[in-house]
Amino acid sequence: MRRITRDVDLSFAILLSFCVYVFFAMNIEVFFSHNISFAILERFAVLGLVGLALTICIIAGEIDLSIGSNAALCAVIVVKLTDPLGAPFAMLIGLSVSTLIGATQGFVIAFIRIRAIVITVGTLMLLRGVALLIAEEKTVMLTDFRVPDFITTKVLMYFSPASLTVIFIFICVGIFMRYTKYGREIYAIGGARKEALTAGIPLRRPMIIAFALSGFCAGFAGTVIGLKSGTAQGLGLQYLLLAGTVAAFVGGVSILGGKGGVLGAAIGALTVNFLNTGLVFYALQVHFVQLFTSVLLVIVIVFQTMSRIFDSRQARKSLLETIDDRKKALLEKKRSVLGK
Amino acid sequence: MSTAIQENQQPFSAKFLQFYKDRTLLAILLSLFAVMFVYGIFFTDNYLTLTNFKAIIRDAALYGIMAIGLTFVTLSGNFFLLSLKETASICGVTFAMGMATGFGSPDLAGNFMVSLLAALSVGVVSGVIQGYFVGMGGNPIVVTLGGAGILYGIGAWWSDNLVINFTRPHDAEWLGTGSFLGLPSITWSFILIAIAGEIVLRHTNFGRKVYLVGANKAAGKATGHENFSMAIIVFTICSVCCAFVAVAFVAQMDSAQSNYFSAEFGSSGDMTILVIATVMVGGNSIMGGYGSTLRTSLGAIFIAMVDNMMVLQGFNSGPRIVGVGLMIVFSIIVFGLFAKGSRAQE
Repeated sequence: MRRITRDVDLSFAILLSFCVYVFFAMNIEVFFSHNISFAILERFAVLGLVGLALTICIIAGEIDLSIGSNAALCAVIVVKLTDPLGAPFAMLIGLSVSTLIGATQGFVIAFIRIRAIVITVGTLMLLRGVALLIAEEKTVMLTDFRVPDFITTKVLMYFSPASLTVIFIFICVGIFMRYTKYGREIYAIGGARKEALTAGIPLRRPMIIAFALSGFCAGFAGTVIGLKSGTAQGLGLQYLLLAGTVAAFVGGVSILGGKGGVLGAAIGALTVNFLNTGLVFYALQVHFVQLFTSVLLVIVIVFQTMSRIFDSRQARKSLLETIDDRKKALLEKKRSVLGK
Repeated sequence: MSTAIQENQQPFSAKFLQFYKDRTLLAILLSLFAVMFVYGIFFTDNYLTLTNFKAIIRDAALYGIMAIGLTFVTLSGNFFLLSLKETASICGVTFAMGMATGFGSPDLAGNFMVSLLAALSVGVVSGVIQGYFVGMGGNPIVVTLGGAGILYGIGAWWSDNLVINFTRPHDAEWLGTGSFLGLPSITWSFILIAIAGEIVLRHTNFGRKVYLVGANKAAGKATGHENFSMAIIVFTICSVCCAFVAVAFVAQMDSAQSNYFSAEFGSSGDMTILVIATVMVGGNSIMGGYGSTLRTSLGAIFIAMVDNMMVLQGFNSGPRIVGVGLMIVFSIIVFGLFAKGSRAQE
């Protein structure tokens, strides 16, 4: 509880999420029903993962622009291999490919020491091309659409195997980031890289772990989308970057790195889901959904920037005050010495 | 001091060998690429003709102009805009609206100047707003990602996601399909804008400030050149370049739609990423302070050359996107290895 009250961004995220939920709950009668909750959790399975992927990268002080392409590549591989190999084996191959891609990116970033945005813009295009190549520029389809039914069956009213797995991944990653040495290293290189490197933390290991995790999450999101719809395109899924970024930033990560967490990512993803699911009831075109999502992002950025400026002003004020106090004390001392 | 003189006195071949020994991986990559490129030039039919070269520069012009605008942003240390294609699309929609309906007043319909001014001012407004947020301390990537969604949403909302047509003959034909002295107008604009960009960056006060702020933000701030005004100006320049490209493209197509510049623009997938790729392949430092618009224009021509070669060899869009993607990653790694240990990195 103290964590929430102390962290301004996280409390703002909770407030925003609550506001969005209440707004739709007031206006739409069926918003409370368990079918809607099931739908929200289904979307959470995809968006939450992408948000988590970006959250981990941003905590490490970098940003991964290639998650959309990575997800599309994984979706194409999984859908293409499900027919000859069966779903579990295809998923295994797809996920290991995208995890490997993420790890390679992390290695290159740490080895050459360039910013991740630079290299991930390149891999965004490269992976998209590879996905097109594997899909042979066509839409890949399953021949038997009953195969992936196992991930959409309802469990316990609210959940499906997909969303249960995603919640499990969230808990695992949360524990990993918070309580293990490797997780803390990711926070360290994000928050204060120079200090962390001087203190003896290697740059390569946390960077590879962070990007491998992000690649895994993006790949899993692609898998879920691909298997659920039964189709995959090489050029698809680019919208995931915007949605994931909104989820991560609503969840209270700071672009400067080292701040935020898995709890925030979950809240952010839920907020975006509330918005998306609520807008469905108004039967708006798809560009309105994009418009509102972006407005949400801008609100959060403005809030974060303002709070940062406010913080630095407060810090400067308090610094000036302490300097003034010291000066006064010195003057009084001088006076008392001279007065004698 | 003495070592520097010694290095200068070494013959070129010895220097080359030393370079090869020091950076084997880099040298192998470079020579592999050079061999492939030369092989492609000589073994592709119809590649070394004047007509084809004109076609290459014409291809390069569209994203080259946008990339020159983006170079200003990159040089000033503000990374890049992710809202390039959305800015272009909303400006294109504005221009087409002006040409088709005259913004509601029939007298103005088809008036080129009014439509052009409207499109450019939309570009200016979007650039100023995004630059303001970035100057206030927002991260350029995230701000422009949000800006991209908003611009696309507004553009699609305004045009109802329909194709806006206007009929020939119209006043903008000279820009879209006309040519002058054997070269298309868009090629001329590319050449002129490249020269203008180079002059501004090299020989004006403002250009030197861009380099200063990009190379060292703290020093810029200490000497009174804050990133705040700089961000607004460079974002505006970039958005105006996008608006100009949009106007030329729409004048050529006689129509506009909100996702003209989205997926599958040309051959390389995404206009935004292609433009960013151009800036990087040209070898500008993405951290700012190092590079020029000449490099960017050469990068644009280079990408167009490789793309054109792959088209003539009969590749599909998949391998072509892989080719451009490999080129970006390759150039990033090469320039990264070159810059290792210098101030060009963090």
